[in-house]
Amino acid sequence: MQKIFNLACGSFYALGAYVGVSAVGWYVGAGGPPALFIVPLALAGLAVGAVGVVVERGLLRFVYDRDETFQLLMTFAIVLMMEDAIRMTWGTAPRSTAGLYLAYGQIRILGAVAPVYNLIVIAASLAIALGIGWLLARTAFGRIIRATADNPEMAEALGVDMRRVYAKVFTLGTALGTLGGALVIPATAAMSEMGIELIVEAFAVVVIGGLGSMRGAVVGALAVGLLRSIAIAVYPELEMLLIYLIVIVVLVARPRGLFGRAEA
Amino acid sequence: MTTNPSSRRQFLKVLGAGAGAAVAARLDAPPAYAQATGPVKIGVLTIRAGVAAPVGAAGLRATEWWAERVNKSGGILGRQVQLVVEEESNPKDTVERYRKLILQDQVEAVLGGISTGVTLALGPVAEDLGTPWLSWDGTTQKGVEETMPNPKWAFKSVDNEVEAIVAGILTPKHFKGIKTVAGIGNDYSYGHDCWESYQAVLKRYIPDVKFVLELFPKLGVTDFTSHVATIQQSKADLLMCSFWSGDATIIMKQAAAVGLFKTMKGVFTTAGGVHDSLKKEFTPEGLLLGYNTMYFDDPKGSPLLKQFVREYKAKYNEYPPYECDHAFFNAESYRVAVEKASGASKKWPEKAQVVKTLEGLEIESLSGKRSWREDHIQMCNFYQGITTHKNAYDFVTINPIETVSTKQAMKPAGTKLFDWIAGWKI
Repeated sequence: MQKIFNLACGSFYALGAYVGVSAVGWYVGAGGPPALFIVPLALAGLAVGAVGVVVERGLLRFVYDRDETFQLLMTFAIVLMMEDAIRMTWGTAPRSTAGLYLAYGQIRILGAVAPVYNLIVIAASLAIALGIGWLLARTAFGRIIRATADNPEMAEALGVDMRRVYAKVFTLGTALGTLGGALVIPATAAMSEMGIELIVEAFAVVVIGGLGSMRGAVVGALAVGLLRSIAIAVYPELEMLLIYLIVIVVLVARPRGLFGRAEA
Repeated sequence: MTTNPSSRRQFLKVLGAGAGAAVAARLDAPPAYAQATGPVKIGVLTIRAGVAAPVGAAGLRATEWWAERVNKSGGILGRQVQLVVEEESNPKDTVERYRKLILQDQVEAVLGGISTGVTLALGPVAEDLGTPWLSWDGTTQKGVEETMPNPKWAFKSVDNEVEAIVAGILTPKHFKGIKTVAGIGNDYSYGHDCWESYQAVLKRYIPDVKFVLELFPKLGVTDFTSHVATIQQSKADLLMCSFWSGDATIIMKQAAAVGLFKTMKGVFTTAGGVHDSLKKEFTPEGLLLGYNTMYFDDPKGSPLLKQFVREYKAKYNEYPPYECDHAFFNAESYRVAVEKASGASKKWPEKAQVVKTLEGLEIESLSGKRSWREDHIQMCNFYQGITTHKNAYDFVTINPIETVSTKQAMKPAGTKLFDWIAGWKI
């Protein structure tokens, strides 16, 4: 909606991961039952999303009217600053939530063993996608977001408070990033550079799916995930090549992505 | 002891100093900055960002510990040690910072260097500038081939592939009946070199062994679920993994989640670099785990090691990894060489005398006796062993502890790695 290519989304993801590790550490240290660790994890991930208001009001609002290159540089500066801030706060060593990943046990599906936690995260992702879809399609706030994305001048002329809408939408996006980082952390380890890794994959997802499209983001993410897995199983050398080959094909044949709308 | 982080102003000065020096003087002549009085400045290059930052932090911490210890006991020949710390990043910028250390800060020696990519670039520059450079963990190898066989000023780490060779030697000893092996490592020279060396060694011990899968995800990946599924599908008897950073912890966790090591043996050549993150909940007993050149929990460890581990834990709430030993050895061997080269006069020696004294020098490091081979390569022991949960920590340790010397596991000077392995009498 803000027409900014936000490289800092990866940093919010990393921040959520680190805050999630700390929250779970405090929770377990305070004697909380391991089976409920997902509650403080998700709450911490959501709460740290509040950093979005600070970034949007404190930095991004000054560059909405600037050239896209300037916006890109600004969000890249945020990436570097947050990476240093993370390193100063949590140190350089990887942080993880020890063995809580297996707190919900494992399940056998079609002959393969999978941790139940993975299924919980998949279910949570589906619920979030449906929730965002409902918010955009069925609520007054969703209509305002869509109207603002379509024609910000018209929306403002009709009385929409753009500052509030931008702040709310950016904070919502940030909270989704931090929540994602928090939810993924039991299965992996937090490393300060994990945000940069995500930005690269997110770029592929956005190009394939289409900029500004919710359906595109879902389909793009599934396509990238599945293609990577298939490549690793069949011909590992193609893992990255295949994804970026498709990115190039999409950029050449359908620059707006699979679900992106053509510019008027 | 103080540390001087670089600043923009310093960097600009360096550019000026570097450019001026290039015009005014030949860079292959040692700069004539003799400092016989006042504090002795020692440059330190360390990685502060990215996936290798924990390794860099460990090396710097050990160097600082060494400097405090030396200064408390009166310094080197009566001169207090002052560390000048610069960041190791990409080869081009690191070479500039290296020049700055020598030309502007006028350090007596430079310690550090972790990445092979960076140290390949530093080697010739060190020779040009004529100041001792003692590398913590970087070599000047391209692939498994040495590019600087006869350096004068550069002192290099052990060969990259030694830990994989040690693992190849220990695999048949601890795991019987291995017929098929899968491998995973990072997609850069270290990962590929380790895998090739491990295969070459294992083939010598088990001639009919089959290598059924090799995976090389890029450095920094945090999701290995697809890789783990593919490894599981390969139905190999054993997985060899050369991850050495947070990725070792992650793959261990994701492998445990699908019960990979219930049906497969595991060899992790360097995961001891992040040993205290290998929690018991997801790291099984019975894996072969490598700690590189220092094992923090060695019951036979020296009082020096025990003191270091105790003080490191108290200060950083972590247990020290191997990089501390590389860093301590470099700094301590420099101190001993300076004092030895000064002879009875106790006058500060010329840099050329120091490097001559370093050749073949053996000293007491954290891990025990370590030395410099005549061709400027570190000689030491490698520690690997079988993971156990029987300890007082929340992470795995090893028992039994296997110690293999570089005399056995590193190619001798002037030989080709794979020819040397092929010539082993087994």
